[in-house]
Amino acid sequence: MTLIKVLLVVSFVGLFVWAFRNRAAVGLRAGLRVFAVVLTSLAIASVLVPDLLQAMADFVGVTRGTDLLLYGLVVVFGTTAVGTYFRFRELERRLAEVVRADAIRDAILTDGIPGQPVQEDRS
Amino acid sequence: MNEDTWVVVRCFNESSVVGQVIEGLRQHFPNVVGVDDGSTDDSGAVMAAAGASVVRHSVNLGPGAALQTGLQYALLDPKADYLLCFDADGQHRVDDAVSMMARMRKGDIEVLVGSRFLGAADGMPRQRRLVLTVGRWFERLSSGIRLSDGHNGLRAFTRAFASQVDLTMSDMAYASELLAIIARSGVAYDEHPVTIDYTDYSLHKGQRSINSVNIALDVWIHRLLRGRRR
Repeated sequence: MTLIKVLLVVSFVGLFVWAFRNRAAVGLRAGLRVFAVVLTSLAIASVLVPDLLQAMADFVGVTRGTDLLLYGLVVVFGTTAVGTYFRFRELERRLAEVVRADAIRDAILTDGIPGQPVQEDRS
Repeated sequence: MNEDTWVVVRCFNESSVVGQVIEGLRQHFPNVVGVDDGSTDDSGAVMAAAGASVVRHSVNLGPGAALQTGLQYALLDPKADYLLCFDADGQHRVDDAVSMMARMRKGDIEVLVGSRFLGAADGMPRQRRLVLTVGRWFERLSSGIRLSDGHNGLRAFTRAFASQVDLTMSDMAYASELLAIIARSGVAYDEHPVTIDYTDYSLHKGQRSINSVNIALDVWIHRLLRGRRR
Protein backbone atom coordinates (compact mmCIF):
# COMPACT_ATOMS: atom_id res chain seq x y z
CA MET A 1 0.00 0.00 0.00
CA THR A 2 1.42 3.34 -0.99
CA LEU A 3 1.65 6.23 1.42
CA ILE A 4 -0.97 8.23 -0.43
CA LYS A 5 -3.51 5.47 0.22
CA VAL A 6 -2.80 5.55 3.94
CA LEU A 7 -3.19 9.31 3.97
CA LEU A 8 -6.43 9.11 2.01
CA VAL A 9 -7.92 6.49 4.32
CA VAL A 10 -6.91 8.40 7.45
CA SER A 11 -8.29 11.67 6.12
CA PHE A 12 -11.58 10.05 5.11
CA VAL A 13 -12.02 8.58 8.58
CA GLY A 14 -11.14 11.96 10.09
CA LEU A 15 -13.60 13.72 7.79
CA PHE A 16 -16.28 11.20 8.75
CA VAL A 17 -15.78 11.78 12.47
CA TRP A 18 -15.66 15.54 12.00
CA ALA A 19 -18.80 15.51 9.88
CA PHE A 20 -20.69 13.59 12.54
CA ARG A 21 -19.55 15.71 15.41
CA ASN A 22 -20.88 18.71 13.52
CA ARG A 23 -23.91 17.01 12.09
CA ALA A 24 -26.25 19.63 13.52
CA ALA A 25 -24.73 22.34 11.31
CA VAL A 26 -27.18 23.43 8.63
CA GLY A 27 -24.57 23.81 5.90
CA LEU A 28 -23.33 20.29 6.41
CA ARG A 29 -26.78 18.78 6.30
CA ALA A 30 -27.48 20.67 3.08
CA GLY A 31 -24.17 19.41 1.68
CA LEU A 32 -25.09 15.83 2.52
CA ARG A 33 -28.39 16.18 0.70
CA VAL A 34 -26.73 17.65 -2.36
CA PHE A 35 -24.29 14.72 -2.25
CA ALA A 36 -27.22 12.29 -2.11
CA VAL A 37 -28.86 13.95 -5.11
CA VAL A 38 -25.60 13.83 -7.08
CA LEU A 39 -25.11 10.15 -6.21
CA THR A 40 -28.64 9.31 -7.30
CA SER A 41 -28.20 11.17 -10.59
CA LEU A 42 -24.96 9.29 -11.18
CA ALA A 43 -26.69 6.00 -10.44
CA ILE A 44 -29.38 6.76 -13.02
CA ALA A 45 -26.77 7.91 -15.53
CA SER A 46 -24.75 4.73 -15.06
CA VAL A 47 -27.81 2.62 -15.82
CA LEU A 48 -28.40 4.52 -19.05
CA VAL A 49 -24.71 4.61 -19.98
CA PRO A 50 -23.14 1.44 -18.47
CA ASP A 51 -19.63 2.41 -19.53
CA LEU A 52 -19.81 5.63 -17.51
CA LEU A 53 -18.95 3.88 -14.24
CA GLN A 54 -15.84 2.29 -15.76
CA ALA A 55 -14.81 5.61 -17.27
CA MET A 56 -15.11 7.26 -13.89
CA ALA A 57 -13.13 4.44 -12.25
CA ASP A 58 -10.39 4.88 -14.82
CA PHE A 59 -10.40 8.59 -14.18
CA VAL A 60 -9.89 8.32 -10.40
CA GLY A 61 -7.50 5.38 -10.71
CA VAL A 62 -9.70 2.55 -9.43
CA THR A 63 -9.30 -0.68 -11.39
CA ARG A 64 -12.92 -1.62 -11.91
CA GLY A 65 -16.15 0.31 -12.05
CA THR A 66 -17.77 -2.20 -9.72
CA ASP A 67 -15.08 -1.48 -7.13
CA LEU A 68 -15.84 2.22 -7.33
CA LEU A 69 -19.50 1.39 -6.78
CA LEU A 70 -18.55 -0.77 -3.77
CA TYR A 71 -16.57 2.06 -2.17
CA GLY A 72 -19.46 4.42 -2.67
CA LEU A 73 -21.87 1.93 -1.11
CA VAL A 74 -19.61 1.42 1.90
CA VAL A 75 -19.53 5.16 2.52
CA VAL A 76 -23.29 5.50 2.15
CA PHE A 77 -23.96 2.49 4.36
CA GLY A 78 -21.57 3.65 7.07
CA THR A 79 -23.05 7.11 7.12
CA THR A 80 -26.59 5.78 7.26
CA ALA A 81 -25.78 3.29 10.04
CA VAL A 82 -24.15 5.87 12.28
CA GLY A 83 -26.87 8.40 11.51
CA THR A 84 -29.54 5.89 12.49
CA TYR A 85 -27.66 5.01 15.66
CA PHE A 86 -27.70 8.62 16.77
CA ARG A 87 -31.30 9.15 15.79
CA PHE A 88 -32.24 6.21 17.98
CA ARG A 89 -30.14 7.48 20.87
CA GLU A 90 -31.81 10.86 20.64
CA LEU A 91 -35.25 9.29 20.40
CA GLU A 92 -34.48 7.10 23.41
CA ARG A 93 -33.41 10.13 25.38
CA ARG A 94 -36.61 11.97 24.54
CA LEU A 95 -38.74 8.94 25.38
CA ALA A 96 -36.97 8.67 28.74
CA GLU A 97 -37.74 12.31 29.48
CA VAL A 98 -41.42 11.89 28.69
CA VAL A 99 -41.79 8.67 30.69
CA ARG A 100 -39.83 10.16 33.61
CA ALA A 101 -41.90 13.32 33.79
CA ASP A 102 -45.07 11.25 33.67
CA ALA A 103 -43.82 8.81 36.35
CA ILE A 104 -42.80 11.57 38.76
CA ARG A 105 -46.07 13.42 38.28
CA ASP A 106 -48.02 10.25 38.97
CA ALA A 107 -45.99 9.55 42.11
CA ILE A 108 -46.60 13.09 43.38
CA LEU A 109 -50.34 12.74 42.72
CA THR A 110 -50.51 9.59 44.87
CA ASP A 111 -47.86 10.20 47.57
CA GLY A 112 -47.43 13.96 47.52
CA ILE A 113 -44.16 15.79 47.03
CA PRO A 114 -41.37 13.79 48.68
CA GLY A 115 -40.74 15.03 52.20
CA GLN A 116 -44.16 16.65 52.28
CA PRO A 117 -46.73 13.82 52.30
CA VAL A 118 -50.28 14.61 51.22
CA GLN A 119 -52.56 15.76 54.00
CA GLU A 120 -54.96 13.02 55.01
CA ASP A 121 -57.83 15.47 55.37
CA ARG A 122 -58.59 15.33 51.63
CA SER A 123 -61.77 13.38 51.22
CA MET B 1 -31.74 8.48 61.76
CA ASN B 2 -30.79 9.28 58.17
CA GLU B 3 -33.80 11.55 57.72
CA ASP B 4 -31.70 13.60 55.33
CA THR B 5 -31.00 10.64 53.05
CA TRP B 6 -32.99 9.15 50.20
CA VAL B 7 -32.22 5.66 48.96
CA VAL B 8 -32.92 5.01 45.28
CA VAL B 9 -33.77 1.40 44.44
CA ARG B 10 -34.40 0.77 40.77
CA CYS B 11 -36.21 -2.36 39.98
CA PHE B 12 -37.24 -4.34 36.91
CA ASN B 13 -39.13 -7.57 37.58
CA GLU B 14 -37.61 -8.35 40.97
CA SER B 15 -40.79 -8.91 42.97
CA SER B 16 -39.42 -12.02 44.70
CA VAL B 17 -36.54 -10.18 46.42
CA VAL B 18 -37.17 -6.44 46.30
CA GLY B 19 -39.60 -6.51 49.23
CA GLN B 20 -36.96 -7.88 51.62
CA VAL B 21 -34.38 -5.45 50.27
CA ILE B 22 -36.60 -2.45 50.97
CA GLU B 23 -37.68 -3.72 54.39
CA GLY B 24 -34.00 -4.11 55.28
CA LEU B 25 -33.21 -0.61 54.09
CA ARG B 26 -36.13 0.86 55.97
CA GLN B 27 -34.63 -0.31 59.28
CA HIS B 28 -32.04 2.43 58.82
CA PHE B 29 -33.36 4.72 56.08
CA PRO B 30 -36.89 6.10 56.37
CA ASN B 31 -36.84 7.55 52.85
CA VAL B 32 -36.71 4.96 50.09
CA VAL B 33 -37.86 5.56 46.52
CA GLY B 34 -38.49 2.47 44.43
CA VAL B 35 -38.30 3.10 40.72
CA ASP B 36 -40.36 0.45 39.00
CA ASP B 37 -38.86 0.42 35.52
CA GLY B 38 -41.92 -0.86 33.72
CA SER B 39 -41.97 -4.24 35.43
CA THR B 40 -44.43 -6.81 34.15
CA ASP B 41 -44.71 -8.44 37.57
CA ASP B 42 -46.01 -6.82 40.76
CA SER B 43 -42.66 -5.29 41.79
CA GLY B 44 -44.26 -1.87 42.18
CA ALA B 45 -46.92 -3.11 44.60
CA VAL B 46 -44.34 -5.14 46.55
CA MET B 47 -42.12 -2.08 46.95
CA ALA B 48 -45.03 0.08 48.08
CA ALA B 49 -46.09 -2.58 50.60
CA ALA B 50 -42.53 -2.66 51.96
CA GLY B 51 -42.74 1.06 52.63
CA ALA B 52 -41.11 2.68 49.60
CA SER B 53 -42.44 5.62 47.63
CA VAL B 54 -42.93 4.14 44.18
CA VAL B 55 -42.28 5.93 40.91
CA ARG B 56 -43.39 3.84 37.98
CA HIS B 57 -42.11 4.07 34.40
CA SER B 58 -44.94 3.19 32.05
CA VAL B 59 -42.47 1.42 29.77
CA ASN B 60 -39.11 -0.21 30.48
CA LEU B 61 -36.32 2.28 29.88
CA GLY B 62 -33.26 0.68 31.47
CA PRO B 63 -31.18 1.08 34.62
CA GLY B 64 -29.63 4.45 33.71
CA ALA B 65 -32.98 6.09 33.06
CA ALA B 66 -34.43 4.56 36.23
CA LEU B 67 -31.57 5.88 38.35
CA GLN B 68 -32.03 9.36 36.88
CA THR B 69 -35.74 9.22 37.66
CA GLY B 70 -35.08 8.16 41.25
CA LEU B 71 -32.55 10.95 41.78
CA GLN B 72 -34.84 13.58 40.31
CA TYR B 73 -37.73 12.43 42.46
CA ALA B 74 -35.66 12.35 45.66
CA LEU B 75 -34.19 15.79 44.96
CA LEU B 76 -37.71 17.22 45.10
CA ASP B 77 -37.42 16.76 48.88
CA PRO B 78 -35.59 19.88 50.08
CA LYS B 79 -34.40 17.91 53.13
CA ALA B 80 -32.56 15.39 50.94
CA ASP B 81 -28.89 16.14 51.58
CA TYR B 82 -27.61 12.70 50.59
CA LEU B 83 -28.67 10.19 47.95
CA LEU B 84 -27.79 6.55 48.03
CA CYS B 85 -28.17 4.05 45.17
CA PHE B 86 -28.89 0.46 46.11
CA ASP B 87 -29.56 -2.51 43.81
CA ALA B 88 -32.88 -4.29 44.06
CA ASP B 89 -31.61 -7.84 43.64
CA GLY B 90 -30.23 -8.30 47.15
CA GLN B 91 -26.52 -8.32 46.26
CA HIS B 92 -25.75 -5.36 48.54
CA ARG B 93 -25.74 -5.27 52.34
CA VAL B 94 -27.57 -2.61 54.30
CA ASP B 95 -24.67 -2.49 56.79
CA ASP B 96 -22.42 -1.33 53.97
CA ALA B 97 -24.89 1.42 53.08
CA VAL B 98 -24.93 2.55 56.72
CA SER B 99 -21.14 2.70 56.95
CA MET B 100 -20.96 4.51 53.61
CA MET B 101 -23.29 7.17 55.00
CA ALA B 102 -21.03 7.53 58.03
CA ARG B 103 -18.14 8.12 55.63
CA MET B 104 -20.16 10.66 53.62
CA ARG B 105 -21.01 12.63 56.76
CA LYS B 106 -17.37 13.46 57.31
CA GLY B 107 -18.10 15.98 54.59
CA ASP B 108 -14.88 15.90 52.60
CA ILE B 109 -16.24 14.08 49.54
CA GLU B 110 -19.20 14.43 47.19
CA VAL B 111 -19.26 10.92 45.79
CA LEU B 112 -18.59 7.56 47.41
CA VAL B 113 -18.61 4.36 45.35
CA GLY B 114 -18.64 0.87 46.80
CA SER B 115 -15.86 -1.50 45.85
CA ARG B 116 -16.09 -5.26 46.00
CA PHE B 117 -12.37 -5.48 45.35
CA LEU B 118 -11.53 -3.58 48.53
CA GLY B 119 -14.21 -5.55 50.33
CA ALA B 120 -15.44 -9.01 49.53
CA ALA B 121 -17.31 -10.71 46.77
CA ASP B 122 -18.13 -14.22 47.79
CA GLY B 123 -18.79 -16.58 44.97
CA MET B 124 -17.87 -14.14 42.23
CA PRO B 125 -17.38 -16.14 39.05
CA ARG B 126 -13.91 -15.88 37.57
CA GLN B 127 -15.31 -14.59 34.31
CA ARG B 128 -17.06 -11.73 36.11
CA ARG B 129 -13.82 -10.79 37.84
CA LEU B 130 -12.02 -10.68 34.49
CA VAL B 131 -14.68 -8.49 32.90
CA LEU B 132 -14.61 -6.07 35.82
CA THR B 133 -10.82 -5.84 35.68
CA VAL B 134 -10.87 -5.05 31.97
CA GLY B 135 -13.67 -2.57 32.65
CA ARG B 136 -11.59 -0.83 35.28
CA TRP B 137 -8.83 -0.16 32.74
CA PHE B 138 -11.35 0.91 30.17
CA GLU B 139 -12.72 3.53 32.57
CA ARG B 140 -9.30 4.68 33.61
CA LEU B 141 -8.38 5.27 29.97
CA SER B 142 -11.62 6.90 28.92
CA SER B 143 -12.57 9.06 31.91
CA GLY B 144 -9.42 9.20 34.04
CA ILE B 145 -11.42 8.09 37.07
CA ARG B 146 -9.40 5.83 39.34
CA LEU B 147 -11.78 3.46 41.02
CA SER B 148 -11.21 -0.23 41.59
CA ASP B 149 -14.90 -1.02 41.02
CA GLY B 150 -16.57 1.87 39.21
CA HIS B 151 -19.53 -0.24 38.11
CA ASN B 152 -20.58 -1.12 41.64
CA GLY B 153 -24.27 -0.39 42.11
CA LEU B 154 -23.84 0.89 45.67
CA ARG B 155 -23.08 4.61 45.50
CA ALA B 156 -23.64 7.68 47.66
CA PHE B 157 -23.91 11.25 46.42
CA THR B 158 -24.31 14.62 48.06
CA ARG B 159 -27.22 16.72 46.93
CA ALA B 160 -24.84 19.10 45.15
CA PHE B 161 -23.42 16.31 43.01
CA ALA B 162 -26.72 14.51 42.42
CA SER B 163 -28.16 17.73 41.02
CA GLN B 164 -25.48 17.71 38.34
CA VAL B 165 -26.19 14.16 37.21
CA ASP B 166 -27.94 14.10 33.85
CA LEU B 167 -27.75 10.54 32.55
CA THR B 168 -28.72 10.25 28.90
CA MET B 169 -27.75 6.64 28.35
CA SER B 170 -30.71 4.61 29.48
CA ASP B 171 -29.08 1.19 29.41
CA MET B 172 -26.17 -0.28 31.37
CA ALA B 173 -23.76 2.14 29.67
CA TYR B 174 -24.98 4.68 32.23
CA ALA B 175 -22.31 3.45 34.68
CA SER B 176 -19.57 4.71 32.36
CA GLU B 177 -21.49 7.90 31.72
CA LEU B 178 -21.76 8.46 35.47
CA LEU B 179 -17.99 8.12 35.87
CA ALA B 180 -17.54 10.65 33.07
CA ILE B 181 -19.87 13.03 34.93
CA ILE B 182 -17.81 12.58 38.11
CA ALA B 183 -14.65 13.34 36.13
CA ARG B 184 -16.22 16.34 34.39
CA SER B 185 -17.56 17.88 37.58
CA GLY B 186 -14.21 17.56 39.31
CA VAL B 187 -15.73 16.69 42.70
CA ALA B 188 -13.84 14.82 45.38
CA TYR B 189 -14.69 11.12 45.35
CA ASP B 190 -13.60 8.02 47.17
CA GLU B 191 -14.38 4.34 47.34
CA HIS B 192 -15.51 2.21 50.20
CA PRO B 193 -15.10 -1.52 50.77
CA VAL B 194 -18.39 -3.36 50.42
CA THR B 195 -19.45 -6.97 50.22
CA ILE B 196 -21.32 -8.31 47.24
CA ASP B 197 -23.36 -11.42 47.84
CA TYR B 198 -23.44 -13.43 44.67
CA THR B 199 -26.58 -15.43 45.15
CA ASP B 200 -27.95 -17.74 42.51
CA TYR B 201 -30.67 -15.18 42.06
CA SER B 202 -28.41 -12.20 41.42
CA LEU B 203 -26.17 -14.21 39.12
CA HIS B 204 -29.15 -15.36 37.14
CA LYS B 205 -30.58 -11.85 36.91
CA GLY B 206 -27.26 -10.12 36.31
CA GLN B 207 -26.12 -9.11 32.89
CA ARG B 208 -24.21 -11.42 30.65
CA SER B 209 -20.50 -10.68 30.53
CA ILE B 210 -20.49 -10.40 26.77
CA ASN B 211 -22.82 -7.43 27.06
CA SER B 212 -19.87 -5.39 28.31
CA VAL B 213 -18.59 -5.39 24.73
CA ASN B 214 -21.81 -3.69 23.62
CA ILE B 215 -21.53 -1.20 26.44
CA ALA B 216 -17.91 -0.34 25.74
CA LEU B 217 -18.62 0.21 22.04
CA ASP B 218 -21.65 2.35 22.83
CA VAL B 219 -19.68 4.48 25.23
CA TRP B 220 -16.85 5.09 22.82
CA ILE B 221 -18.97 5.71 19.76
CA HIS B 222 -21.03 8.08 21.83
CA ARG B 223 -17.98 9.94 23.05
CA LEU B 224 -16.29 10.08 19.65
CA LEU B 225 -19.26 11.22 17.63
CA ARG B 226 -21.27 13.02 20.27
CA GLY B 227 -21.18 16.41 18.57
CA ARG B 228 -23.10 19.46 19.54
CA ARG B 229 -26.48 19.25 21.20
CA ARG B 230 -29.27 20.81 19.26
